[in-house]
Amino acid sequence: MKRSRRSFAAIVAGGAAVALALTACGGGSSDTAGSTVASVGGAQTAAAGGDVNGTIEYWLWDSLQLPAYQECADAFAKKYPGAKVNITQYGWDDYWAKVNNGFTSGTGPDVFTDHLSKYPEFVNKQYILNLTDALKADGADKDIYQKGLLSLWTAQDGGIYGLPKDFDTIAMFYNEDMLKAAGYTDADVQNLTWNATDGGTFEKFIAHMTIDNNGVRGDEPGFDKANVKTYGFGQENLTDGVGQTQWSPFTGSNGWDYTNVNPWGTQFNYGDDKFAETMAFYKSLSDKGYSPTIDKTVGVDTGTQLAAGTFATVFEGSWNTSSYLSKGVNLKIAPTPVGPSGKRASMFNGLADSVNAASKNQPTAVKWVEFTGSQECQDLVAAQAVVFPAIPESTTKAEDAFKAKGIDMSGFTVQVKDGTTFLTPITDHAADVTALMAPALQAYMGGQADASSFKDVNDQVNALFK
Amino acid sequence: MTIPPTTDTVRDPDLLDRPLDTDAAGPVAPEKKSFSLGRLLAWVVTGLIMLVTLFPFYWMVRTAFSNGSTLAANPGSLLPVNFTWGAFQRVLGLSSIEDARAQGGSGASIDFWLALRNSVIISLVITVGQTLFSAMAAYAFSRLVWPGRDLVFGLFLAALMVPPIFTSLPNFLLIKNLGLINTLPGIILPFLFMTPFAVFFLRQFFLGLSREVEEAAKIDGASNVRIFFKLIVPMSSAPITTLAILTFIASWNEYLWPLLVARDASAQPLTLALGIFRSQTPGGSPDWAGLMAMTLLAALPIILLFVAFGRRVVNSIQFSGIK
Repeated sequence: MKRSRRSFAAIVAGGAAVALALTACGGGSSDTAGSTVASVGGAQTAAAGGDVNGTIEYWLWDSLQLPAYQECADAFAKKYPGAKVNITQYGWDDYWAKVNNGFTSGTGPDVFTDHLSKYPEFVNKQYILNLTDALKADGADKDIYQKGLLSLWTAQDGGIYGLPKDFDTIAMFYNEDMLKAAGYTDADVQNLTWNATDGGTFEKFIAHMTIDNNGVRGDEPGFDKANVKTYGFGQENLTDGVGQTQWSPFTGSNGWDYTNVNPWGTQFNYGDDKFAETMAFYKSLSDKGYSPTIDKTVGVDTGTQLAAGTFATVFEGSWNTSSYLSKGVNLKIAPTPVGPSGKRASMFNGLADSVNAASKNQPTAVKWVEFTGSQECQDLVAAQAVVFPAIPESTTKAEDAFKAKGIDMSGFTVQVKDGTTFLTPITDHAADVTALMAPALQAYMGGQADASSFKDVNDQVNALFK
Repeated sequence: MTIPPTTDTVRDPDLLDRPLDTDAAGPVAPEKKSFSLGRLLAWVVTGLIMLVTLFPFYWMVRTAFSNGSTLAANPGSLLPVNFTWGAFQRVLGLSSIEDARAQGGSGASIDFWLALRNSVIISLVITVGQTLFSAMAAYAFSRLVWPGRDLVFGLFLAALMVPPIFTSLPNFLLIKNLGLINTLPGIILPFLFMTPFAVFFLRQFFLGLSREVEEAAKIDGASNVRIFFKLIVPMSSAPITTLAILTFIASWNEYLWPLLVARDASAQPLTLALGIFRSQTPGGSPDWAGLMAMTLLAALPIILLFVAFGRRVVNSIQFSGIK
C-alpha cells in the first residue's frame, strides 16, 4: 500500500531513532541486533527444507484483512498439522515503529506484512531473508502473479524478499448525490482529462463541484474562494516525496517518473520541468479555491471530509474502498483523469510477506509466506472483498465479490487492463528522501518557495546516493 | 482589613459571603444576598468556564454513543448521531466483526478486561512502590544526617532536568537484557522506585516537620525505621496521598514506555489497547465512536479517584503551598 501519511515522519523518526541508538550501542547484544551493520550482497538466505511445525508469529496492519488471513492461517494449520500461525494486528500508525523495534530488540515476528517503501532498508540491514533458494527448493511457482509485482520484491542482489499478496491502484471517489445536483452523470466522470494550460475537463468539473458558503459554484461569477463549503477536489497534506494518493496520478499522466530507473534508481527527477509544471497545476487548484489550501489539510482525514460533504471528490487507494463506502454517503468510483501524455496513470503498488532473518522457525515461516502467496490463500482473501489479490484469477474473484456487495471496482482495475500503471519508486534512502521532500513540497504548496526550489532539493536528494 | 484567621473558618459558608473590609462596618451583620451586577458577572464567567471545560467531555460522550458510519455525515450534531450502544459493545468485545464493521469499526477486536487488568496492576504497583521508596528517600534526604547528603541530593535534583526520552533507550536495553520485554515487570520496573520529583516534593514537606516530636521518639529509643513509619508517614499523610494520586494518574496515562516494551496484548495497558481504534490503514479513518467509548471507560477509574479523593488532593496542595 502506500507509504506515507500524517504520522509517517513520526514513525520513521521514532523507528530510526530506536534503530540508530540500538545499533550504535548494541555491540553487546548477541542475537538479531548484532548483525545490523551489513552491506548489500551478503544477504542471508532462507534455509530450505526442514520440518514445518511449531507456532510462528505473523503481523499485519490492516484490520479489515485480518479475518481473511485468519482463514488462511486455519487452512495452513490444516495443511500442516503441527504448525500454527499466530496473527497479531497493529494499526498502520503503530506498525512500523513496532516492526523496527522488533528487529532491534529481537522480539519481532517470524513473518510480517512488508511494504515496498520499507523493504530496501530491511534488505540492506539484513533484517529480512532472501527467499530465492527456499522458493526454488519448494518448487513455488513464481509466474502466477500480476505482471510486474514479483519484480518489485526482487532486490538489487537478485534475491526475492517477499511473495506478492495483493496490489493496489488509485482512483477517484466521488459523492454521487453532489454529482447529480451539479448536473453531471456517472458517465461524465469516467474520462476526465487534465492539462497544465487550462486544467482540462477535470478542472472544469471540480470547479463546478465546488460550492461556497453562499451557494455559488466555483465556475460562477461571484464565487468566494475564501469561504468554501464544499471543495470540488479534496487534497491531503503532503507528507512525503511520493504523493501516492495526492499528486502521483497527475505526475504519472504527465509522463514524469520519479527516478532514472525503477526499481533501484539512483537519480531522482524532482528537478525536472515536468514535475514543476505538474505541481504548479496541483497548487493552482488550491489557489483557485477548488481544493483546500495546505494549512487546511493538516490532520485532516479525507474519508471523513468526503462523508461530511466538505469534499466532493478525492483520490484514494483501492485498499480503503470498503471503509470509504461504509460512510453513510452515496460514493462511487471513477478512474483518475487522463493527462497530457494521452493516458491516465496510477501508481501500482503491492504488499508481500517477508521473513524476519532472526526467526527461529524459518522452515515454517517460509512455508507460510509461500502459502499467503498461493492461490488457495488469495482466493480466501478475494472472497472478503477488501483488496485485490496478486494472482489474476483471484483478482477476478475479488472483483466479483466486490460486485456482489454492489461495488463497481472498474475505476481501479482499468489501469491494470489498459497498462497505465507505473511502479512505486523503490530506492535506497527512502526515509531520507522523505525527510527532504516533505518540507520542500509543503513550502511550495504554502507559497514560501517557488517551483525552482525543487531543483535544489533534487540535488540534495541525489547527493544521498553518492 | 482582617483575614480569616484559620482555614476552618473559611469553610463556614457565611464567611465566604461576608465582605472582607469589615473595618468600616464594625460588627458584621448577616448579609442579605442581594443581587449585584458583579455577582451576576461572576456567575456568568464561572458558567462559561465550566461549559468550556466540560464541553469536550460532553462531546466525547456524544461521539461514543454515535453510529460511526454515519457520524461524519452529521459532524455538527449536538446529540449522538443514530444513538447506539455499538461502540461500547465493540470496546467490551460483545459485538461481531460484521456489526463492528457496519458501525465504522475494524475487523480487529480488543480484550478490554485484560487491558484494564494490566493498567490496574501497573498503576497500583508503581504507585505503591514509588510513593513508599520516594518517601524513604525523602526522609533520608531531609531528616537523617550523613556525609555528602546535600551533594547527593544536588545530583538527584539534576536528574530532574533530564528529559525522560533520554533515559528510555538505556532503560529499554536494560529491560531487554533482563528478558523482560513484553512483560508487566518490564513496564513497571523503571518507574517502581522513585522519581526525582517525588523525592523533592516529599523532602520539602518533611523539612517542615517538627524536630521535637522526632527527638522525643529518639530519646524513647525508637529506631529510624520506626520513626519513619510511625511518625513521619502519619504526619505527612496529606502530601503522600497527593503524590500517590498524581503517580497513579501519571502511570495510568503513560503511553511511550509501554509502547516500547509491551507488544503483546498480554502486557498492554489501556492506553496502548486504544490503538485498535486509530486508523488501521494509511488514509483510513479512525473509529471515532469506538475510540471515544473506550477513552470514556478508560478515564472512569481516574474520574472515580477524583470523586473520592479530589477534596483531599486540593486541600493537601493548598496545605503544602502555605508551608
